[in-house]
Amino acid sequence: MARKPIDWSPSNWPKLLYQFFTSFKVATAVFVLMTLVTLLGTLAQVDQGLYAAKVKYFHSFFFTDKIFGIPVLLPGGLLLMIILTINMILGALVKVRKRWRGAGLLVSHFGMIMLLAGGFVTWAFATDGYMALYPGMSSNRVESYRDWQLEVFPLDENGRAKQSWILPSDELQSIRVDEQRSYDADGLPFHVIINGFTKNATPIPTASIKSSSGKGKEIDGFKLVPQDASKEAEQNLPGAYVAFDPDGEGEGIEAILWAGSYRFDPGEDPMPFPFTIDGQLYGAMLAKKSWNVPFEVRLDEFIFERHPGVSTARNYESRVTRVEGEKETSLEIKMNEPMRFAGYTFFQESFGPSDGKPGEMFSQFAVANNPADQWPLWSLVVTTIGLMIHFCVMLVDFIIRSRRKTAAATQS
Amino acid sequence: MRFLPSFILLTTATMLVSCGDSGPSGAQIVTRELPGSHQSFRLVDSSAERFRYQKRDAATAAGATPASTAPDLVYTTPEGWKEQAGSMMRDVNLTFGDNDEGECYVARLPGAGGGLLANVNRWRTQMGAEALTAEEVEALPKKPLFGQPATFMTVDGDFSPGMGSTEVKKNHRLLGLILASEAGAVFVKMTGPKELVTENEAAFDVFTSSLDVSLN
Amino acid sequence: MKRLFLSLILPVLALPGIASARDLPKTPLPSYEPWDEEVVHTFENLLVQEGGRVKPLYSVARFTLLQYSGKTTAAFQTADGVDHKLHYAEWLLNVLFKGEVAKDLPVFIVDDSAAVVQIGVSPKSKRDRYSYNELFAGRAKLAELSAQFAEKQKKYQESEKDPQFELGRVEGMILTLGRNISSFEYLLGQFGFARKGELIVNENILPDELIDLAKRLDVVEMLNKMPEMSINQLMQAISTPPGSSQDEIMFSGALRLFFFHANTARGMNLFPPRETDNEVWLSASDLMIEALGDKDARPWAGEQLGKIQSLVDAKNESPEAFAKELTEFSKWQHAISDPRGEGLHSDLEVKMYRGKYFMNSLVCFIFAFVVMAFSWLTPGSKIGKTLIIVASLIALLGLYFNVHGITLRSIIRQRPPITNLYDTVLFITGTAVLLGLLIEYFTRLGVGTLVAILSGVLGMFLSMKYEAKEATDTITQLVAVLDTNFWLATHVTIINIGYAAGLVSAIIGIIYLTGRFVFMLIGRKSKDFFKTLTRMNYGVICFCLFFALVGTVLGGIWANYSWGRFWGWDPKENGALMICLWTLVILHGRMAGWIRDLGVHMNAIVLAIITTFSWWGVNNLGVGLHSYGFTDGVWGALYSTWMIFGAFMLMGVIVWFRERQSKLRKKDSSKTAETLPA
Repeated sequence: MARKPIDWSPSNWPKLLYQFFTSFKVATAVFVLMTLVTLLGTLAQVDQGLYAAKVKYFHSFFFTDKIFGIPVLLPGGLLLMIILTINMILGALVKVRKRWRGAGLLVSHFGMIMLLAGGFVTWAFATDGYMALYPGMSSNRVESYRDWQLEVFPLDENGRAKQSWILPSDELQSIRVDEQRSYDADGLPFHVIINGFTKNATPIPTASIKSSSGKGKEIDGFKLVPQDASKEAEQNLPGAYVAFDPDGEGEGIEAILWAGSYRFDPGEDPMPFPFTIDGQLYGAMLAKKSWNVPFEVRLDEFIFERHPGVSTARNYESRVTRVEGEKETSLEIKMNEPMRFAGYTFFQESFGPSDGKPGEMFSQFAVANNPADQWPLWSLVVTTIGLMIHFCVMLVDFIIRSRRKTAAATQS
Repeated sequence: MRFLPSFILLTTATMLVSCGDSGPSGAQIVTRELPGSHQSFRLVDSSAERFRYQKRDAATAAGATPASTAPDLVYTTPEGWKEQAGSMMRDVNLTFGDNDEGECYVARLPGAGGGLLANVNRWRTQMGAEALTAEEVEALPKKPLFGQPATFMTVDGDFSPGMGSTEVKKNHRLLGLILASEAGAVFVKMTGPKELVTENEAAFDVFTSSLDVSLN
Repeated sequence: MKRLFLSLILPVLALPGIASARDLPKTPLPSYEPWDEEVVHTFENLLVQEGGRVKPLYSVARFTLLQYSGKTTAAFQTADGVDHKLHYAEWLLNVLFKGEVAKDLPVFIVDDSAAVVQIGVSPKSKRDRYSYNELFAGRAKLAELSAQFAEKQKKYQESEKDPQFELGRVEGMILTLGRNISSFEYLLGQFGFARKGELIVNENILPDELIDLAKRLDVVEMLNKMPEMSINQLMQAISTPPGSSQDEIMFSGALRLFFFHANTARGMNLFPPRETDNEVWLSASDLMIEALGDKDARPWAGEQLGKIQSLVDAKNESPEAFAKELTEFSKWQHAISDPRGEGLHSDLEVKMYRGKYFMNSLVCFIFAFVVMAFSWLTPGSKIGKTLIIVASLIALLGLYFNVHGITLRSIIRQRPPITNLYDTVLFITGTAVLLGLLIEYFTRLGVGTLVAILSGVLGMFLSMKYEAKEATDTITQLVAVLDTNFWLATHVTIINIGYAAGLVSAIIGIIYLTGRFVFMLIGRKSKDFFKTLTRMNYGVICFCLFFALVGTVLGGIWANYSWGRFWGWDPKENGALMICLWTLVILHGRMAGWIRDLGVHMNAIVLAIITTFSWWGVNNLGVGLHSYGFTDGVWGALYSTWMIFGAFMLMGVIVWFRERQSKLRKKDSSKTAETLPA
């Protein structure tokens, strides 16, 4: 069978592209590669931890990995999913011959496109963070698990502040260990100079032997010693050398700021680095990136139960009151029963401290805001209906054909 | 129909470009009002405190509390001594001598641990020596332990360790250092054949004076 | 009927036959007097709280013996030459009430005699079972070594599997043996407080004067006379030397004995608590310590402890008296626990184990296989076809046993069928068998039955292996996030049906490849048969996709409801995703023309490799949210399974290669034929 030579002229490119993206070959190749990427990304979690593996393998366009010792360039999960989406839209919805036998497949492919679109919306627009409260505490503030920002604020004599200057986490976390950047803002009578930001670090007293491994400058008896990044990205405690310079001549008040001075537990107040410029007391600290929700949540009671005689947790749940202005609503948040309100979802996530006594423990909620929250459910319904239709068609077809076969066999 | 594929490609591409950077882009410092629940801060005097190197009261220590309430010990292991695994009762467990026949351990107990008199006499009984009176114990020499004066004792005799063992070890020497207060008691006990212990008496002093509470 | 089954099977499967024909280990016991069956029955229905639930003592006995011995019977030969085979409930009855006999029963399995040599005990054969008394000479060394290895193992865990702390094979055995011996000593000493000086265990660690005192000490009476003391005070009091007066020495001795008894009586929670709202049952030790610290609790605790005392006294008196006391005790337990709603299904649990449903199921599948094998002697004949139908019916009976057992387990814990890894084995086996039989119903080729039988044999065998290896109760309590019958019934069930389909597809693939390979070797052809197999497998793969996909997405929706994200690239999620992806590879690859018949079956085996990885492998990666079943030795088993899969795929490759060659040759010969005339 002789093949027609392919027309490579530029006028034919859109058609070629269309043919490429609608082909089963591309779909199959994407599935094979996606399986490979998934496998690699799963195995990599053992050494790198979930977050790092996720970023490298699944949220990427390309990555390189060693397979049997040979470095290989592979398409990342994001790229593959984009190609797959295009392939499905063009191949399974647009190009496909519309006939009743294929109706089930058409519907199920549509469901899958919804699922991928949902994933895309989640990846691009969803936020997630947490809120931890002791009984009696209330808050409308959600904190990030991983992102840290620099905050500077004027303090009154009681250690209170009403307003804060913030260097956003994207900017702060892009600063390298050996890099210097300077910032200023209206109302701040000094420049904020950052002399290197370390993603995970520990301040070590210079008196200790361990500090010899740190190259950083000694300030107030301490050096900031970089640590290996933790497998669990939320366990990293970053640190930075910071200076507050009133006259812009490069000198000023120097300090080590460390994420560990922020709170470990919702009952603590953060410990900023205090300094005085022009008679005004300021505080500076690394704080978790945070944002507001349009209502307050007060924890009334946290209930924690174990199975009798063993340490397996049976149930933990939080009785909370949601406060929107004047209106108060009492409800429970527990495993498998989150609170959904105003686009936000509060899940019972965790509790602490590990040695806390019942009644004296804090409760931690994961707070998610995802415009595509319910898309997977709808897509599942659509896909299931589609597959069911197709499966029935296939089964009937298979049975009829087998019957015909056996009938033919018995006749002969 | 023809333009549809290129249209979709184009749209996706634009979406991708616009979604590459999530959140507000800002090389600028921004200001924000602090919510009521986030307005108070703890002002600390030293970096050591800010970096959590100093004791906090129990209420605020939560979250970073180590598994055991007693902080770890740091110390210098004298030359020729060997580290052994600690146990529930022994925070530090060291041996010395060619066959590890000499032993030195540190134990800490919450509370007075039975009192100075009882403990001095318990150890004396183990060596087959007479019990001492309260005045005699009071008169025992002192050596520093964790910067405080601790009672130092030394006994020679046949050592029967107790604890289920019926073995009696002849001609042994015991060096003991006991720091007993209401807050807690620390025991350092060194035992072994008399000659070996005598050789290691200086090492004992090196060890006990190096003992310190870890800052981590 | 069952005996008939067995006598038919034994010649075919000679292995179990050989094992049972071996000489039983000998004990120095002059003879053995079995317990009255009625007594054993009452005993096994006693209630005990363990692993967070109240269950029959029967289950505890089963898994304890399984853990010590690797099997559920204690078999031995007494000095008078008589063979005995004790059921696990009877074995535990001996441990608790005839400790001296139990100490002579060879129940501790040692897989490599190097382990006993290391603790200074003279070895028997390479792999053998030892009695407590036989191991006793090495007791101290065993304690020392196992403490050392336990420390090492702990470091291994803490260092995130630093190989320098990994336990060697023999080291692991010593550690396990040490733990088993220590747990056995607790069982022996469980009722020591009521035995009046008959110490049976740990006698060597008590000084002489205390052994003497133990004979006179009545623990309940002593409790009533003592001052109130917390456990810390008690420990303090016994660790400081007594004063010199006779009274002080006596008091100190009594305290040490009290602590000695209280210590060994830990672990078996036979006593419902006093308060109705308290869920934690108590052991004799808990009672002793609680009563010591609280004078008000003493009359009550004394009464409870007295019940054990009466049991022990009755046992010394006569078998009849013991039977009566035991019945009393059981009635008393049930009278308290029933209104509390605890242990309500304990009799059902005993029935389930007594019914041996899963063993029967395995026997059926093996028998069905034998019948099936006979059908191959006369393929296509009437007898052959009848034999296939008979085999199908026996497989159906096997499925019935499997489903019955699963149903009972669900009723006992009031949960959907799957709550842990062991459940998945039973469930997936049942589903695969059902799938096979359904295929048979539609196709009548014998292939469906073969698939059902192979899945049945392999699955039920795996379930037994797994149970014996884990040797812990398989009816477990759920962690908080799994505490939802809705999602357990939907997501978990559906995804496991998907797994089952993936495995069935591989079995069909293996049948296809083997068939093609054999036919190639003997030079026969049967295009239609193989075409039908391909369509069959295609159907199963579609079925697999449907359930894997729906199950996976449902899992995501559950995750979204429970902890706020639909997809987190967690290993178990990824495993399910890979199953979906690979079925899609097969379906789309066929459309693309990349995969033909041979390819479908070869890829079905790849699908099974992915399925087994997702089913067993990801749990053992040690990361992620679904790490609910850590099992040692799984990787070894997985690699061997994959090697076998690989061997079948190799057959496929050979078939493919040969076919290509013959096609090329045909082309060549036709070419030469064309050119010749010119």
